[in-house]
Amino acid sequence: MAVTPTVSVLIVVIGFTLMILVGSMVPQSSARIPRGRGRGSKWWGIAKVGEPNNLIVNTIRGGANIGNNYLEPAVQAVLRKKQQRLVRENRGVLEAIAKGANEAIVECKHQFKNRRWNCPTKSFWRGKNLFGKIVEKGCRESSFIYAMTSAAVTHSVVRACSEGSIESCTCDYRLHNKYTRVMTPEQNWKWGSCSDNIEFGYKFSRDFVDAGEKAREMRGTMNLHNNEAGRIHVQSLMKRQCKCHGMSGSCTMQTCWMRLPHLREVGNSIKDKFDGASRVQISNAGILRDVGRGGRGRYKFQLKPYNPDHKPPTKKDLVFYEDSPNFCERDPRYGVSGTYGRACNVSSMGVDGCDLMCCGRGYTISVKQVVERCKCTFQWCCQVECKNCTVTRTFYTCK
Amino acid sequence: MAGTVLENLSGRKLFVLTSILVICQIVCFLIGGLIAPAPSRATTMLATKCLDPEANRNKWLYPRGPASKTCRVIEHLESDNPFTADNIVFAFQIPFAKENVILDYTRWQQNLIGILQLEIRYSKESPVVPDAQLMIDARLAYRNDNETEWKLYAESMEVRTLDCEIDEPKEGYNYNCGLIPLFELGSLHHDFYLINIRLPAPAHQIYNKGIGILEDIHLVTIHQNGGFTKVWFSLKTIFTPLVLFVLVWYWQRVKAQGRPPALLEKLILFLGVAIEFLNLPIEWLTLFIDMPYMLLIGDIRQGIFYAALLSFWLVFTGEHLMESSGDKNTLHTYWKHLSAVAVGCVALFLFDLCERGAHVANPFYSLWATPVGTRLALGLIIAAGISASLYFIFLSWMVWRVFRNISAKRTALPAMSAVRRMHYQGIIYRFKFLMLTTLACAAMTVIGFILGQVTEDKWKWDGEVDIEYTSAFYTGVYGMWNIYAMALLSLYAPSHKRWPPERDPYANTNSGTEEIEFTRLEPDTSEISALASFAKKVAAD
Repeated sequence: MAVTPTVSVLIVVIGFTLMILVGSMVPQSSARIPRGRGRGSKWWGIAKVGEPNNLIVNTIRGGANIGNNYLEPAVQAVLRKKQQRLVRENRGVLEAIAKGANEAIVECKHQFKNRRWNCPTKSFWRGKNLFGKIVEKGCRESSFIYAMTSAAVTHSVVRACSEGSIESCTCDYRLHNKYTRVMTPEQNWKWGSCSDNIEFGYKFSRDFVDAGEKAREMRGTMNLHNNEAGRIHVQSLMKRQCKCHGMSGSCTMQTCWMRLPHLREVGNSIKDKFDGASRVQISNAGILRDVGRGGRGRYKFQLKPYNPDHKPPTKKDLVFYEDSPNFCERDPRYGVSGTYGRACNVSSMGVDGCDLMCCGRGYTISVKQVVERCKCTFQWCCQVECKNCTVTRTFYTCK
Repeated sequence: MAGTVLENLSGRKLFVLTSILVICQIVCFLIGGLIAPAPSRATTMLATKCLDPEANRNKWLYPRGPASKTCRVIEHLESDNPFTADNIVFAFQIPFAKENVILDYTRWQQNLIGILQLEIRYSKESPVVPDAQLMIDARLAYRNDNETEWKLYAESMEVRTLDCEIDEPKEGYNYNCGLIPLFELGSLHHDFYLINIRLPAPAHQIYNKGIGILEDIHLVTIHQNGGFTKVWFSLKTIFTPLVLFVLVWYWQRVKAQGRPPALLEKLILFLGVAIEFLNLPIEWLTLFIDMPYMLLIGDIRQGIFYAALLSFWLVFTGEHLMESSGDKNTLHTYWKHLSAVAVGCVALFLFDLCERGAHVANPFYSLWATPVGTRLALGLIIAAGISASLYFIFLSWMVWRVFRNISAKRTALPAMSAVRRMHYQGIIYRFKFLMLTTLACAAMTVIGFILGQVTEDKWKWDGEVDIEYTSAFYTGVYGMWNIYAMALLSLYAPSHKRWPPERDPYANTNSGTEEIEFTRLEPDTSEISALASFAKKVAAD
């Protein structure tokens, strides 16, 4: 870094005051929201912690190096008590969560790049919600954001476990079995080896991401369902792979394992569910059996479809209960900036076509000469060689 | 061959003996299913991309350990970086720490297999070319609990063919790449291992060109589970003296006959010795000595047992043909049939020697990596396959001939003299008994194997008891062939009882002893049997 020590100290100080300010603001702002967006979404801020002054590396690395019981205030501000405890108990997990949250943002932007709502995020973290006010509505877009972030955290934690950067991943070779619980991890490892990391990732994500969601509220139920759906997508996309190693390498002896999917596959799968998301009845909220906190009963709710002719949503389906705004016009209530100035595809009949994207306002055509990087080749290792090409491009932008 | 124990055993004794053997079999199955964990387990790990600024191949880079000695980690490879291929080291330090405990390997875990999985991103401009050659500079080091320095265990420059596919060729999507076998360690003697992989980019060579945008490398390691090894060793240790005892008893029985042993008797002995050799728990030594050739020895031992078993079936069927009138058969009589077994075994042995034998010297070696090696391996496997099918054709043909002779003899039975009749009935009974047992054993093995392929590893009963199916299958099958061999040794040993003299066919039935012979033969085919069962009834009254 080219920042001199004095400047960085100054930045930290400014950061601190900012955090304190934010900390005092947050309860009021959440109280203002009538129905609430659920409480489990603030942790997304980890993705951008300290971004204005580019502290992300320092904050998170520092948090891991200093010790178990210290968390940066910037991190503390976005995490609930339970989440802070989880982060303190699992060294190295904070980096994984931050990585996961960032990957979720990238994936969301990729999946929605051709739609009216293109997953805008706030470039500065100011205690506001990272994805803007849209998550205050229980609409499709929110359901995607919740599922995607939850899936990305699961994915990232599992990856971190298999990289060895989290050292607290569980090791119990026979899951759901009582008598192996009494064995220490060491004994478990020597007797039957450790279970797949996905179990830890799934459980951790349940604990961390779902912390603070209340199944008693309609919104909480929706979030819990969508979070769970995201995790289940990761789990169900795992691929079984096997290796034969019996006598003379034959398949008399075979060992199989599950391979973690690429996050892009998870994103595609969740996006499919976004297109066919189920609208559910609000009245469900009353009949939920919210048994205790964090118990298994927490996830035992059955959402009823809004249209009684439809099937009830499955575990993998995304659910919502409110209409989405049309995203055409600027709507400050939901932080929607409208599709003014968005590029569109003149030849497409889909949502990225100029008709739909520009909401019938029409579009402008401009022809420009641009210099682009082109014909890039990648040589192992690490040299990307590109040429600069000057091309004439026609741009279609919404009025 | 004169009468065997099997024919001279009363129905009750036979029933008791069979029950004991079946119970032993069930115990073997349950030991594997309830006590042992899965036989082996795969652990997936992601490489830590270490920066080696000196590009010094002899330096060990590792991600965990004292903070001053760990390597500098590269986050992303594909962004424009100022370093070259020589600066990048994919490091795997195994095993990991879990639940904040630093784990180490134990010698009970026996062996280790490493497989690479590459994560390659698609890019239109630099795709993965077909048959891209990957050059891997792999180095393996070990360290023990009380040491600080990593010591070299093996190193090799390996070439593997990259086999990648993509469903949707879009930017930012990933290839599905096939598994790349990396190493096979026949012994897991040390506590910690470290693998450093470099992918050099030699100029003017085809290696590591056109491999797409490599982002990450996963290593899948497979090792035997300590718990399974313990159960397995115990099983072997228990079976060794048992089989030895039966073996000694059998051979004394044969010797007591006061005649040179028959061919079939020799073959049963050979089978017994082969299974005893397989049982011999020399694996205990691996806990003290580094024995990287253990996998090879295990394969050879299994191979000898299978060869013995196959030869035995063949000769047994041949000896029960009832075509030649009891002249002394020797192994030469069966040379055509047995050569199929021999060729198959030799082919597999050569293959094993090339693959596992080479692993003793270089754990990274793979016979399949080069075109010549692939052709050699395929040739040997095809040779083994052809001889296996030839063998089964021979065997089926002989079994068919035996059955044809049996039905022919059966119609002729009532017209024979009593001794001749007993001789043939004895042969038929002996043959049918072994045929049935063998078919049952083979069917159980095959069904068990298929079930293992299609079902989950674990079976749940009432959500309380887990049956570890794969382990149960291995211990079950292992126990089964041991029990099979012991049953053969004890039931097909020559009987010390003499056949009744011809002029007094009812001698033994009237003797009043418990051992009434031939009661299981169909009563309507033989007058004696009918009388015998009648006499037995009277005796019981």
